[in-house]
Amino acid sequence: MSTSVNNTSGEIRDEIKDLETQELTINMGPQHPSTHGVLRVEIVSDGEIIKGAYPEIGYLHRCFEKHTENREYLQVIPFVDRMDYIAAMNMELGFCLALEKLLQVEIPERAQGIRVLVSELNRIASHLLALGTYSLDIGGFTPFLYAFRDREKILRIFEEICGARLLYNYIRPGGVARDLSKSVQEKIADFCKYFVPQLDEINDLLSGNLIFVNRTANIGVISPDMAVAYGLSGPNLRGSGVNWDLRKVHPYSGYEKYDFDVCLGLAEKGVVGDCWNRYFVRIKEMYQSIRIIEQALKALPEGASMGAVSKSIKPIGEIYMQTECPRGTLGYHIVADGTKRPHRVKAKSPCFIAVSTIDEMCAGMMLADVVAYLGSLDIVLGEVDR
Amino acid sequence: MSTFFKEYFGNIWTAIRTVSKGMSVTFLAFLKTNGLRKVRGGYNYGSGTVTISYPEVKDPLPSISRNRLFMHEEGCISCNQCAVICPVECITIESRKKNSDENPDAKTPAHFGNKPLKLKLMRFDIDEALCCFCGLCTEVCPTECLVHTTEFEYSKYDRDHLVYDYLKFKDENPLPK
Repeated sequence: MSTSVNNTSGEIRDEIKDLETQELTINMGPQHPSTHGVLRVEIVSDGEIIKGAYPEIGYLHRCFEKHTENREYLQVIPFVDRMDYIAAMNMELGFCLALEKLLQVEIPERAQGIRVLVSELNRIASHLLALGTYSLDIGGFTPFLYAFRDREKILRIFEEICGARLLYNYIRPGGVARDLSKSVQEKIADFCKYFVPQLDEINDLLSGNLIFVNRTANIGVISPDMAVAYGLSGPNLRGSGVNWDLRKVHPYSGYEKYDFDVCLGLAEKGVVGDCWNRYFVRIKEMYQSIRIIEQALKALPEGASMGAVSKSIKPIGEIYMQTECPRGTLGYHIVADGTKRPHRVKAKSPCFIAVSTIDEMCAGMMLADVVAYLGSLDIVLGEVDR
Repeated sequence: MSTFFKEYFGNIWTAIRTVSKGMSVTFLAFLKTNGLRKVRGGYNYGSGTVTISYPEVKDPLPSISRNRLFMHEEGCISCNQCAVICPVECITIESRKKNSDENPDAKTPAHFGNKPLKLKLMRFDIDEALCCFCGLCTEVCPTECLVHTTEFEYSKYDRDHLVYDYLKFKDENPLPK
């Protein structure tokens, strides 16, 4: 028997000599659940090792920039909402700040306070979604439910502030559309008290979990140099240990008045710049957002919530304004020619830059780590394609 | 050899410790949901069951919630502002000058601002399939006759049925048929 085995294995060995390994092209997306939207990644793999990953975008292209040229400035804001639909308040804030800079109008203190409140609430909502879906990608279902339970409370507050849950059309050039009522302020204060212990719980549940840590730590390490070279921003940049937050560096909308820390990846687990650190920066940022909200609520002055801006605005000039959104630095370049409609609006999207790192980062990775890497970037394809 | 055992059993111990920490969180959440334990920090906002059995139980929406539009015919002065501001052009308004047999001094009711009705409204259609619920039209309406209702269940079998003719459509919250 032993001889026959030897013979057959010898034959097989001869056959293997003639065989060649073949690269396999895998199509990930556009309907893949962990691409967070309609991103298609063409993966060329050699066994479990990835040779190359080529992201393909454009499935959610809605001609935002062209549409704006045929719309009045007030009508552009609903379109801006639909870019990053998860953090629509932050999208509006950037656009309105750019317009206000162009018009050189004074914004009432109360409107600025409300803007900070809603954009920080939306930052929490956005990070909760990022956290929940990331844990879902990795295989943990429970944190997803917890995150959405708390996000729902923020959405309900938004519904009472402006009437919509996702696409708010709330921040306008000159201020905000509606004043913040006392009862909503109380609800926000209640939420802050409620949320911190809940966040501690989610943190206990996921951040230290060995299965989660092993899947994410030391995976997809973006070095600080590479992050800066690509132009990454937001939690992705800070996860690589680069201290850059526009709210601190170039404060806008009164952020200089609030006391908060810039959260960096400190390699509590893994190394600086890996998936786990990017994830944990988001957790830490939520605590800081709560700090800002509590201060903003306390310091919210009485007064008008809308500045003196005429209904049909006709700015003239060129402006570039960037704000710190949950996913990074969002910039608006507006060319205004003195008519009711903008001549050109260009949005600089942080997620597009994050997508462009996939090509370089995924080469040499294991197949299962691509999901962990994509999730840690927290991309929204609505913003990439625009 | 001893370091190998240390690492091996250390890993197992860490895994058990972290996973059981997570399990304790879910177990406490189970207790909280059933009202057997207070939320950490002694603060009870939002504890208990957070889900509802939707079609049977409905969560009341805030009154300013933006859902399907509704136009009160008697309040419209055919000013066309809503159709102009709409970013998706879903509102169609047609009006004509008044004939001699119509009252030239007619006014909108007091709760719609008592504005003079100079034109006769002939058509007021809103394509709810196009509407993006931005609320700009309700803000510019001078008589506040165009409002967002809290009605959000109005799906139809045909897209054409979503074009609402508000000169005929009266019931603000029609019963499902």
